[in-house]
Amino acid sequence: MRNGRGLPAAMPAIALALLIVVAALAPTLAPYVPARQFANYPFAPPMRPHLVDDGGTWHAPFAYPVRIVDPIERRYAEDRTRRITFADDGEPWFLLGSDALGRDVLSRVLAGARLSLGIALLATLCTLIIGAAIGAAAGYLGGWVDAWLMRSADLVLVLPTIYVVLALRGALPVVMVPAQVFAALVVVLSLVGWPAAARGVRGIFLVERRSEYAEAARALGAGPWRVIGRHLLPASRGFLAVQATVLVPAFVMAEATLSYVGLGFASPTASWGAMLLDASKVRIVAEAPWLLAPAAAIFVTVFVVHAGSAGRDPHSGDHNLG
Amino acid sequence: MIGPDVSQRIGFPATALVEGRRYPLKIKQIRDFGDWPSNWPVSSRVGRQTRQRLAICTLLLAAACGGEAPPARPAPTGPVRGGSLTATVRSEPSTFNRFSPGGNSTPVDLVTRLTHATLVRLNRASGEYEPWLAEKWTASPDGRVYTLTLRDGVTFSDGVPFTSADVVFSFQALYDPAAGSPLKSGVLIQGKPLQVTATDPRTVVVTLPAPFAPGVALLDNVPIYPKHQLQAALDAHTFGTAWGAATPPGSMAGLGPFVLSEYVAGQRMTVTRNPHYWQKDAAGVQLPYLDRIVTEFVATQDAEILRLQAGTTDLMTLAEVRPEDVASLRRLRDQGSLQLAEVGVGVDPNTLWFNLTPGAAAQKAKPYLAQTAFRQAIAYAVDREAIVNTLYLGAALPISGPVTPGNRTWYSDTAPKYAHDPARAKALLAGIGLTDRNGDGMLDDGAGRPVRFSILTQGGTIRERTATVIQEQLRLAGIAVDIASVDAQSLFARFGKGDYESIYYGFQASAFDPAINLDFWLSGGSVHVWNVGTPAAWEKTIDELMQRQAAATTLAERQRLFAEVQKVFGDNLPAIYFVAPKVSVAMSRRVGGAVPVLLEPKILWNPAMLYATGR
Amino acid sequence: MFLFLARRLLGAMLLVFAVASGALLLAQLAPGDYASQFGHSPAEIAAERHRLGLDRPLVERYTGWLERTLTLDFGQSFQYRRPVMDLVRERAANTALLAVCALVVATLIGIPSGVFTGSRQRGAAVRAVRGASLVLLSVPPLISSLVLLTIAARTGWLPISGMEGPRHFVVPTLALALPIAAMLERLQAQSIGDVLSKPFAIAARARGLSHARIVWRHAWRQSLGPILAVYGVVVASLFSGSFAVEMVASWPGLGQLMFNALTVRDTYLVAGCAAAGATFLAIGVLAVDVAHALADPRLEGTHGA
Repeated sequence: MRNGRGLPAAMPAIALALLIVVAALAPTLAPYVPARQFANYPFAPPMRPHLVDDGGTWHAPFAYPVRIVDPIERRYAEDRTRRITFADDGEPWFLLGSDALGRDVLSRVLAGARLSLGIALLATLCTLIIGAAIGAAAGYLGGWVDAWLMRSADLVLVLPTIYVVLALRGALPVVMVPAQVFAALVVVLSLVGWPAAARGVRGIFLVERRSEYAEAARALGAGPWRVIGRHLLPASRGFLAVQATVLVPAFVMAEATLSYVGLGFASPTASWGAMLLDASKVRIVAEAPWLLAPAAAIFVTVFVVHAGSAGRDPHSGDHNLG
Repeated sequence: MIGPDVSQRIGFPATALVEGRRYPLKIKQIRDFGDWPSNWPVSSRVGRQTRQRLAICTLLLAAACGGEAPPARPAPTGPVRGGSLTATVRSEPSTFNRFSPGGNSTPVDLVTRLTHATLVRLNRASGEYEPWLAEKWTASPDGRVYTLTLRDGVTFSDGVPFTSADVVFSFQALYDPAAGSPLKSGVLIQGKPLQVTATDPRTVVVTLPAPFAPGVALLDNVPIYPKHQLQAALDAHTFGTAWGAATPPGSMAGLGPFVLSEYVAGQRMTVTRNPHYWQKDAAGVQLPYLDRIVTEFVATQDAEILRLQAGTTDLMTLAEVRPEDVASLRRLRDQGSLQLAEVGVGVDPNTLWFNLTPGAAAQKAKPYLAQTAFRQAIAYAVDREAIVNTLYLGAALPISGPVTPGNRTWYSDTAPKYAHDPARAKALLAGIGLTDRNGDGMLDDGAGRPVRFSILTQGGTIRERTATVIQEQLRLAGIAVDIASVDAQSLFARFGKGDYESIYYGFQASAFDPAINLDFWLSGGSVHVWNVGTPAAWEKTIDELMQRQAAATTLAERQRLFAEVQKVFGDNLPAIYFVAPKVSVAMSRRVGGAVPVLLEPKILWNPAMLYATGR
Repeated sequence: MFLFLARRLLGAMLLVFAVASGALLLAQLAPGDYASQFGHSPAEIAAERHRLGLDRPLVERYTGWLERTLTLDFGQSFQYRRPVMDLVRERAANTALLAVCALVVATLIGIPSGVFTGSRQRGAAVRAVRGASLVLLSVPPLISSLVLLTIAARTGWLPISGMEGPRHFVVPTLALALPIAAMLERLQAQSIGDVLSKPFAIAARARGLSHARIVWRHAWRQSLGPILAVYGVVVASLFSGSFAVEMVASWPGLGQLMFNALTVRDTYLVAGCAAAGATFLAIGVLAVDVAHALADPRLEGTHGA
C-alpha cells in the first residue's frame, strides 16, 4: 500500500526532510561567496574533477585551471600543467561553470536554495491550505456559499497578478531587505495561487459528500467537521499532492517573473528563478547550458515533493488488476 | 555589400554647404535605451562628423570588411534594380504620423524614413548636410535667415506636385499646440520656433529666432507632409490623431523612396517602391533600387538574431549586435552567410547619476551623496576593465565622461580621466570623513552609520548587470550598494518625483553636436537629470559656455568652448560614466549598398541606396 | 438547467466587469502611468497626461468607462490609438487557434498516459512516463519553449516565428501543450488510482471483466472530477494567452498584447484584455461544469450557482 514495492513507508518523508536540511545548510556548502565576481572568467564551462593526473599519479580531487583564450568567442583553454583545489583562492574551480559576471554557478544554486525553495514550499503550503479550506467550504455547503466562493476564485484567477504586484510595489519602500521580500512574495503567491486548488477540492467534495461512507458517517451522528476532516479531506489528498507538484516549480518561476516588476531579490542575492530568467535565451541554451543548473535543482525538488506527497495517499495502492 | 564611398553612390555633389559653416548637431532628450526595450523612442536629430574623418573611417571600414569577407560567392557587381529585403523591428507603430505624440518610437521613425523626406538630410556617414528636397540654400550675412530653393518637378507618391506650401504646412503642423508634437521641442532655438514662409512655389525662407551655429541642421528632423491630404485635419485641430494605425496603407502620400502598401497588425508592414520618387543615382537610375522592404514585428532581440542567423530576415532596424552574439555571428560570417561590421565606439553610454537637486530627501540623511569628492571616489574605485571584460567581452572602451571617442569632432582629450585607483578613492573618501571606524571592512560616516546608497535601474537589462558589477567593485572599496531593479515606467515615475538616490540609465544620442543637445547640458533642460532645481555655480558656468558655443561662428572656437565644458563636467562629475560599447552591426549577405553608422537607424538610414544581391 | 445557465451567465458578466474594474483601479495605484514614459519636461508630461485624459479624477474616468462598456466600447488603447475591442478581438482569435490546438494535443497526450500510469503501478513504461511528466512539470514554460525553438532553429525543420501556415503551429503548440499534458497525466493517474481502489472495481474484476473494460468503461468517467475542475482553469489560461510562449515564438496573441499593455500602463487595453480573459474563464468553467454533470450522474443538481 505504498508507492512502489519494497520501499519503506517513511522514505518519501525522509527525502523531503533531507531536502529541507540541505537547503538550509546549502550556503555553508557553497565553495565561493555567491556574489563574488571573477572578472576574467565570464561563461567559464564546468571544470571536471579529476583524481588521476596525466602522469598517472593519484591525488585528492582536483581540477585543471582554465584561462580565457578568446573573450568574444568565450573560449577557454585548460592548463594541464597545474592543479588547483578549492583551497587555492586565486584561481576558481567552477564545478558547474560560471555565469555572465564570472560568478560560480554551483555556489549560487546552493545559496539560492534556501530562498527559492523556502518561498516555493511555503507558498505552496499556504496555497494548498487556503485552497483546500475554501474548496471544502464551497463543496460541502453548496448553495450560494459555493457560488460566491467560486466567483471570487474566478476573479482572483483572472485579475492580472502583475498589476497587483505593481500596485503593491509602489506602496512598498524602494529598497527592501531579503526577509521583507520573502514575506511579500509568499503572501502574494498564496493569495494568487489558491483558485485552482479550491476548484479541485470543491469538485472532489461535491462527489464525495454523497458517497456511502459519508452518508454512513452522518447517519452515525458525525458532525460536519468530523466528516470533512476524517473522510472528505483525505479524499482530496491525492489531488492536493499533484497540485503541490505543479505549484512548486511554478512558484519558483513566478518569483522570477515578479522580480521583473520589482518585487524580487535585489542583486547580488541569488535565486533560482532569477538565474533561470537570465539564462532564458536561445544563445544560452545552445552555448552555455550549465546556466540552466537551477532547472535541474527544481526537478530534484519536484521529484522529492511528488514522491513525498504521493506516498502518503491512503488510496493509492496496487492497482494492477490485470 | 558594404559600400566604400558614399558620395559616389549619391550621385550629386555633396558640397552644397554654405562656405565655412559647419552644422553641429544636438543630442536628443531622454529616450528609453536600455537593453533594447520594445518601445524604443527615437531621437529626432542626428549627428554630424567632419567629412574627412568619416571618409577615412568608412574607407578603413571597407578595407577591413573587404579583407574579412571570404570569396564564398562571386562578388556582387553593383546595384541592381529590383528585389526585396526583409527587416525586423521590435515594436509596432502606434501611428503613422511622425508628428503625433505616439510618433517618437523606432517603428514610426522607420516608416517615416522609408516613406517621407526632409528638406535637408544629414548624411550620417560623411557627417554633412546634403541637399535633399531643397536643392540649394543661401544664408544671410548674420546667419539668421536661410533661403532654400526647392527641387523642381518633385511630386508626392500620389502624383500631386510638391511645393513650398507643403513645407509651410508641415512646420505649422509641427508647432501646432493642438497636435502636441514631441518633435517640436527639438526644432526650437532658445525656446522659440523657426519662422518658415514661402515666397514662391519653389522658395522657402527660414528665419532663426536667434543666432545658431548649426543653422539648417534642424530641418533634418521635419518630414514634409502633404498639405492636400492633411490640411483639413490641421484646421479641425485633429492633426495629432491623423494618419493613425488604422489608416489604410497606400492612402498616405509621401516624398520618400517607398510607399506603405501593407500593414498586418501584429505581424509585419510592407513598403513598396514609390514610382514618383525624385532621387536618381550617379548613373541616372531612378531610386530606390529595391522593389519592396518587408518589416516584421519581432518582440525580442534574441528572436531577431535567431531569424537573422536562420536567414529568414536580412537586417534589423536596431542593427547593433550585443557582444555575446558576436561569436556565433562571426562563425556565420566566415561561412559567408552574414556580413558583420564594426562601426566604432558608441556615442550614447549608460551613466550613473546622483540626485543632486538641492533639498532632495536623500541628501538629508546622507549628506555625503551630494559631495563631489564622493562621486570622484566612486569614479576612481570602479575598475572599468572588469565591466569591459565580463559584460562586453572586451568589446568596449573605458570612458570617464558623456562624450566618447566615437564622437570624433567633439571628444576632448583634455577632459578629466578617472583610471582605476583604489588608493586615491580611499583618500578622497577619508577626506570627507568616511573611514572604516569599526574594522568591519566597510566605511562609516561621522555618526558611525555604514556608508550605503541605492542605485535604481531597469531590471533585466545590461544596465542592471552593470550596476551589479559596480556594486561589487564598490563593496571592495568599502561602500555598500543596494540595487533596486524596477520596470521602466516605475523608474520614470520615481525619477519624476525625485524619489531616488542614484539612477543607472542611458540616453540615446541622436546627434554629435552638443549645441543640438542643449537639453542635457543646460540647467533648465529636460534631460538635465541630476539637478532639476536651482543650479550650482559650476552648472551656471556650463550654461554660459554652452550658449556661447551654440552661437560661435567657427568650428575651432566651438570645439575649444566645448572642451572647456567637458572639463568642468568632469571635475564636478554629476554623472559618472564607465564604459562605451564598441558597436558592431550584422546583416545578411543579400544586403547591398549599406553604410553602417553610429546613429540609429544604423543601416536603414539610407534605404533608397540599398539593393538586394543574389535572390 | 435553464435557470442554472441564466444564473451562470449573469455571474459571468458580473465577473467580467469586476475584473476590468479591478484592473483600472490597480492601474491607478501603481506608480507611473502611460504618460510618464515620455521623459520630457514635467510640463510636457502634464500636457500629454491631460490629452489622454489621465488627470481627470478616478471616479469620473471610471463612470465614463463603465457607461461606454454598456455599449461594448472598452475605450481606446493609448499605444495603438485603436479601439480596444478591435485589438482584443484580433489577438484573441489568434490565441484561440493556438489554444484549441494545444488543448487537443494536451488532452490526447495527457489523459491516456495518465490512465495508463494510474491503472498500473509497476513497469518501466510507467516509470518512464511518470518521470517524463515530472520533468515537463518542473521545466518553466519559458525554458521549454526556448529549448523547442533552439531545436527548431538548429534543425531547420520547423519555422520559428509568426503565424502563416500549419507548420508554424508546431513549436508554440508543443511548448504550451506539453506541460499541460504532464499535469493532466499526473492528475488523471492519481484520480483513476483512487477510483480503481474502490470496492466496485475489485468486485468487477472478480466478476471477470477485463482490465481495459473496467478502466475505460466504468472507472474513467468517475475519475474525471478533479480533472474537469482544473480544466476550466486550463482553458482560461490557454485562451488568455501565455506571454512567454507567444513572445518566444512571435505569435501575435493576447498574452503578448496584455503583457505589453501592462508594462507601458495602457490601462484601457489591460482592462479589455482582463475582461477577455474573464470571459474565457467563465465560458470554460461553464462548459466543464456542464460536461462534468453529463459525465458524472452523481452530480446532477449540485452545481450551485
